Amino acid sequence: MGLLQPDPFLNELTSMFERNRDKGSVWVTVKRSSMKSKSQKNKMATAGEPVEYRCLIRATDGKKKISTTVGAKDHQRFQASYATLLKAHMAALKKRERKDKKKGVDGDRKDGAGSTKKPKRV
Amino acid sequence: MVYVTSWDEFVERSVQLYKADPQSTRYCMKYRHCDGKLVLKVTDNKECLKFKTDQAQDAKKMEKLNNIFFALMARGPDVDLSEVTGKEQMEAQPAKKGRGRKQ
Repeated sequence: MGLLQPDPFLNELTSMFERNRDKGSVWVTVKRSSMKSKSQKNKMATAGEPVEYRCLIRATDGKKKISTTVGAKDHQRFQASYATLLKAHMAALKKRERKDKKKGVDGDRKDGAGSTKKPKRV
Repeated sequence: MVYVTSWDEFVERSVQLYKADPQSTRYCMKYRHCDGKLVLKVTDNKECLKFKTDQAQDAKKMEKLNNIFFALMARGPDVDLSEVTGKEQMEAQPAKKGRGRKQ
């Protein structure tokens, strides 16, 4: 696969997350890039042209690699879709329910980590 | 590896690292659904900052950080970060105007 347009990239990323639900990891890397080789960049700099930078996003699951670039104009739209995607897939993370002081309804905590429990009424 | 314990510290140091060297700083994320773990890494190939978590609330915070990095990288390191949050407000405003029109 390799370099894709932002929308197909997001689709591929979705299937990557799906494939790696029960086993495996998904790595996503974001970096600024002009997508030009050094010599081209030097030429542009000496010619006085502004070098346009884009955001390079890469993703892999250890086997397959995909990537895309996002420019300043598209980045907001991309980031909204990307955020939705991540939210949908990161469901395995623990939800911290803080019912510290008020009710001892769900009083049985296995961890006991975090806030020290003071006796409420003596 | 340098694991930062405080989220805010991680964000502040990452942004500093990026502004110091926007060309070589990158932001990486690794997610393992089977373990329910998320690890974030920001490095400029000299220094490395990492943050790991298994909390859903950190995923939300990470999304905001994503927005910050996208803005910094696509537009340039001189982007005013209040723009990132300011943009969200701007997007909200025209929506309100739209509602006002429907009568």
